[in-house]
Amino acid sequence: MAEISQKEQLALHEFSVRYRAAYAASHPLNDLHLETFQDAVRSDWEKEQQANRGLEISGPEISGPEIGPSSPEKEPEPEEPGA
Amino acid sequence: MDDLVKLVRTYRFSSGLDDRGRVGEQIIRAVASDLHLFVFTKVAPSGADDVFQETLKGIATGLRTFRGGTDGEFWAWCYRVARHKLADHFRKQAGDRLITTTPDDLQEMMDLSAQLNPVTPSVKHDLDYGMHLLTQSKPECKEFLWNHFVFGLDYAEIAEDKGMTYDNVRMKIGRCLEEVKTLVSRYG
Repeated sequence: MAEISQKEQLALHEFSVRYRAAYAASHPLNDLHLETFQDAVRSDWEKEQQANRGLEISGPEISGPEIGPSSPEKEPEPEEPGA
Repeated sequence: MDDLVKLVRTYRFSSGLDDRGRVGEQIIRAVASDLHLFVFTKVAPSGADDVFQETLKGIATGLRTFRGGTDGEFWAWCYRVARHKLADHFRKQAGDRLITTTPDDLQEMMDLSAQLNPVTPSVKHDLDYGMHLLTQSKPECKEFLWNHFVFGLDYAEIAEDKGMTYDNVRMKIGRCLEEVKTLVSRYG
């Protein structure tokens, strides 16, 4: 297969950059969408607070030596389809 | 460190809801329009807004646990969330796929782009050529070309999405582009 030529790559790149910029200008994030996002942030934050409170209450039990360190490098996948 | 991923890191280390909301808004404003375009070019308008809102929720819910280190990784993750939400939607409404973006839609955006940022004749030539490549490709090629060249998905991401191998996607995109190059040069 022939490599994709630079001419086509350049044209498509230029088109893509301009198209997305024009689309962004004509479709700014609206209030409803921002509210949806902020509601989900709040809901996630509340779950986190609840989980932290649970940890504080049962702290000594779960911080025992048999529990391994948390693995901060583990990046959960986005929600699975259908989840 | 890239700017966007710095914001995501700040979000993760913010413990107060107000800070999360403020930083989260900066993040979502940076990615929303590209994700909006991605969703609205793939699903019929009746379902697109729901899918987009589910995508925003998925990002809000996952931001705290994102561990990538570059803007590129973050963008890939955002598109992965959107693709999963699209897959959920198509599982329920298989006939809701959008056929294509019309040449008129593209031209309208190019006219707006020229108002926002005037084009030189040589850039105009490139833009017209790019638009022809995307609009004159065969229907089965359009999604591949859009995903790779407009949305910036790499071969591996498209392969995962389509259930194909990396090499098959690479060859498919190469073939699609060769075919449409021939069409554009033949018919102008």
